[in-house]
Amino acid sequence: MRTPRMGLQPVQTARNLCERRFRHQVTGRARLPAMARVVVDVMPKPEILDPQGKAVTGALARLGFTGMSVRQGKRFELEVDGELTEERLAEVRRAAEMLLANTVIETFNVRVEASPESPDEAEGDAEPTEPDESAEQAKSAEQGQSANQAELATQAG
Amino acid sequence: MGLKIGVVTFPGSLDDQDALRAIRLCGGEPVSLWHANDALNDVAAVILPGGFSYGDYLRCGAISRFAPVMAEVIKAAEAGMPILGICNGFQILCEAHLLPGALIRNAVRVFVCKDQDLRVESVDTTWTSDFTAGQIINLVLKNGEGGYVADEETLRRLEGEGRVIFRYVNGNPNGSFHDIAGICNERGNVVGLMPHPEHNVDSLTGPTQDGRLFFSSVFNFLAAKV
Repeated sequence: MRTPRMGLQPVQTARNLCERRFRHQVTGRARLPAMARVVVDVMPKPEILDPQGKAVTGALARLGFTGMSVRQGKRFELEVDGELTEERLAEVRRAAEMLLANTVIETFNVRVEASPESPDEAEGDAEPTEPDESAEQAKSAEQGQSANQAELATQAG
Repeated sequence: MGLKIGVVTFPGSLDDQDALRAIRLCGGEPVSLWHANDALNDVAAVILPGGFSYGDYLRCGAISRFAPVMAEVIKAAEAGMPILGICNGFQILCEAHLLPGALIRNAVRVFVCKDQDLRVESVDTTWTSDFTAGQIINLVLKNGEGGYVADEETLRRLEGEGRVIFRYVNGNPNGSFHDIAGICNERGNVVGLMPHPEHNVDSLTGPTQDGRLFFSSVFNFLAAKV
C-alpha cells in the first residue's frame, strides 16, 4: 500500500511526463511511451444559468448539506497515444474548443494527469498552480490517485 | 410537382417524418436526406428537424453538427439557401455557428410540452414572409433544453437588426433571454426556432394551422427567385 498523497501531482509539463516515462522502462528495450492522460474540464460560464447545478444544490440542502452552492460541469479524460509534445497538447486544446466545449456558454481547462508509473518521483517537482485553482486541482489529483491506485491493484492482482 | 424541400434525418431525429408530411400537405415535394450523405439531392431548401440526435450526448446538436451532410448544409446556407432548424435543428444551427448563441436546459428544470403563444417580430426572412409583424400565433413547444442564451453584445445585435423573429408571449416557458423563441442569420435565409411549425399544419393533430405559413413563405420566396 502506497502512502497517500505521495504519488501524483496535479500539473506536470509534457516534457517532464515523457522523460519520466522513458526512465521507467523495465524491459530496457526502446518502446513507445505509454499513453498519456490529458484531462479537459468544462464548466458553464459564471453568467450562464446552470439548472443542473441548481437542482443538485437544492437536493443537497434538503439532505442537510447547507451552505453549499453547486455548479455542474464535465470532465473528459483523453488517453493520448504517443509522446505528449506541446504540439499534441495544442491539438487537445483545439479538440476541446471545437467539440468538447461550446465556448459560447462554457469555459474549458486542459491539464496533463500524472503517470501512474512514476509515483515515487513525482513528489516535489510539480509546477506551481494558480492560487485560486490549487485547492480544486489538489482535490482532483487526490481523486485521480485513488483511481490510479485501484488500477495498480488490479494489475498486481 | 412542388418545390423540393429536404429534411435531414440524424440518428435520433424524431420529427423528420412530421416535417416531410408537413411539406407534402403544404404543397411541396418532400425529400429525405441522410446525415451520413454529403449530398443535398438538388433540394431548394433544407429543414433540420426536431428530436434527440445522438441522444443529446455531449450537448444537444454538438455531434450532429459535424455530420457529413452538415458540411453541405453550411455551404448551401452561406450561398443563400433557405434553412430552417426546428428545436433540435435550432440547436444544431447554433452549434454549427450558422446562428449565434446557444440553447441550454430550461430554467424551469422540467421538459415543457404545450401549445405556446408567440409574437411574430420579423417577417423579413425566407421562412416568415407570409406572417404579419406583431401577429400572435400558437405552435407546439416541446423541449428540455430550449433556453436561448447569448452574450449582451449578440443580443443587442439581434434586437437592433430585427433578427429576433419570434418571442414567447403569455409567459416565458424556458428562461430564454429576451423571451426569444426564434432568430435568423444576417441574411434572413437561416431561421431557427424552438416551437414546431410542422406539428401545426392540419386540424386533426394541431390546435392551429399557423405552421403552414412557414412553408407558404418559403415556397413564395423560392418561386419568386426562379
